[in-house]
Amino acid sequence: MIDQLKTDFDKTITNLKLSNKGIEIRRKSLNQFSENGFPNKRIEDWKFSDLNQIISSNIKGLNFYSNLTSDKVDESIFINKFKHNKIVFINGVISSIDLSHEDETKVSLSKNLDLDEDRKEVNPLISLNNAFTSSYIRVIVHENYSFNNPLIIYNISNNNLKSTALNLRTDIVLEKNTNLKLITLFDDNSENNFINIIQNFDIAQDAILKSYKIDHKKNSNIKYFYNNINLGKNSISENFIFSTGSKFIKNEVNCNLNDQFSSAFINGIINLTDTQHHEIKTNINHLAENTKSYQLIKSVLNDNSKGIYQGKIFVDAKAQKTNGYQLSKALLLNENTEFNGKPELEIYADDVKCSHGSTSGNLDEDSVFYLMSRGLSRQQSKELLINGFLMDAVEKITDFEIKDLIKDLMGIAE
Amino acid sequence: MLQIKNLKAKIDNKEILKGLNLDIKPGEVHAIMGPNGSGKSTLSNVLSGKKGYSVSGEVKYLNENLLDLEIEERAHKGIFLAFQYPLEIPGVNTNIFLKTSLNAIKKAKGEKELDAIEFLKLVKQKAAELKFDEKILSRQLNVGFSGGEKKKNEILQMSILNPKLSILDETDSGLDIDALKTVSEGVNALRSKDSSFLIITHYQRLLDYIEPDFVHVLINGQIVKSGGSELALELESKGYESLS
Repeated sequence: MIDQLKTDFDKTITNLKLSNKGIEIRRKSLNQFSENGFPNKRIEDWKFSDLNQIISSNIKGLNFYSNLTSDKVDESIFINKFKHNKIVFINGVISSIDLSHEDETKVSLSKNLDLDEDRKEVNPLISLNNAFTSSYIRVIVHENYSFNNPLIIYNISNNNLKSTALNLRTDIVLEKNTNLKLITLFDDNSENNFINIIQNFDIAQDAILKSYKIDHKKNSNIKYFYNNINLGKNSISENFIFSTGSKFIKNEVNCNLNDQFSSAFINGIINLTDTQHHEIKTNINHLAENTKSYQLIKSVLNDNSKGIYQGKIFVDAKAQKTNGYQLSKALLLNENTEFNGKPELEIYADDVKCSHGSTSGNLDEDSVFYLMSRGLSRQQSKELLINGFLMDAVEKITDFEIKDLIKDLMGIAE
Repeated sequence: MLQIKNLKAKIDNKEILKGLNLDIKPGEVHAIMGPNGSGKSTLSNVLSGKKGYSVSGEVKYLNENLLDLEIEERAHKGIFLAFQYPLEIPGVNTNIFLKTSLNAIKKAKGEKELDAIEFLKLVKQKAAELKFDEKILSRQLNVGFSGGEKKKNEILQMSILNPKLSILDETDSGLDIDALKTVSEGVNALRSKDSSFLIITHYQRLLDYIEPDFVHVLINGQIVKSGGSELALELESKGYESLS
């Protein structure tokens, strides 16, 4: 793999026309990745998802140089339930940008940026992303501006994709007192690729981010989706993870509550069939007084699938009056499924309220009987109960349009 | 309508029903009274098809072998069980559940399913008859309902589904006197020459409001005595012990 990395890296930097400093930063990241390789189960955070093994058994001929030819957008995949702004990536290349619903003086967008600074590399995948990312975009929402309509980032892949690994990166900056609803939607038509996505959010004082990540369409890709969120005073980050599509996906959210009265919500559903394997990993860092976090993850596992939730709440010594909560509930629909829940609390302050819970179990047969005694078939009863179980987390979505979209994707009719 | 002959039911190798006989004709209201552990709830579970029992004997319902039918087929053919402890189903909207249920039964009967507007009209009317706050119907099924609301919800379901044979399993337990009256009125409104009721209860109280044609005493898995509504009054004054 090392030789392939070097060759592909040389092609990538030639192609991107980077500054010397930019190349130097990327080369450092490349070396970092080369030394470590893909994370494996000997690393604590990856003990339930041995990515090295998953990649080697699913992807043949791993390579990293992605050609930058753009493709035509298939507009039929666009969400048509509500008006929205769009950024469309096809095979990692920006194909179109449409921010026509917004005041253009209030929003800046730059693309294909040089990496101008060393980014904290918390794991080898971030190094890999830093070394190879080709379409790095940054959106800045300027002070006191609220988006009129949601922004949807479409990540589309198709069979024109030449590399087997894809590295994408988006930075979103919300200046003071701004408001953005973001949907990141995957539409995978390529097969057996590794897709590595980073999103960085800097959320300033009084700003509100609502970020919904939708991996819905069944596909054979392996994904790592990393979110890093920095929260300023009195700001809010609401995250929802819809995890049902990929063969493997690990959604990792690192959230720093840097200033007072900031709050972070991470809710999500995992609903799997066949041999799908999905993980949600969160690190919530309470670093200031009076900060709040809330997490609710609901998982439904069918066939031979595997689900994982690792949720960590860290409370710094100065983060008094922290309120941290996390709950994971899993439904295992047959004996070949596996769910691993690992809650972690690391608390250094003494005046805090933190709680966690994790349950897993089968579908309640008495409830099935109740519904069937009202004329529903076993299948209908199961679906109603499963959707009801998942709805608990979906109901946490505070945006009604987007909640309806999610319900539509789940096939829940009103 | 329903003929039960020598019905036996075991659970975990323990025999609960030990040869029960009962004949219910169209339009009749039968009450089954009995002490705790006599097999009352087992009888209602077996009739509605709950799994986990090994059952023998014969149960004819509208000339079919009831025991051969799946749970939902029994519902499609007009059997309704009002649960003693209605289950809480989180995340499922009560209205959506009611509509799914009604339309599943209509579909099985080959009738036209109701659309949202027709359904809401029906449910509004039925809820008003039962003095049931229709706001509750937009909540999750039975979640956070009071004991009385849960029981009223069972009767509401019954009146919407309009069954041929209704089995009421201790519907009176946990009801205050006003709720008991409303629920009884709901049941009485459904009485007709074509529909029958099997009312399972500990106490005579409910039978003050829903007057049965027959009262049976179930003790230790068998019916030990049958009579008219006066039997309930006798039990109330003398207790079950006089019969065992």
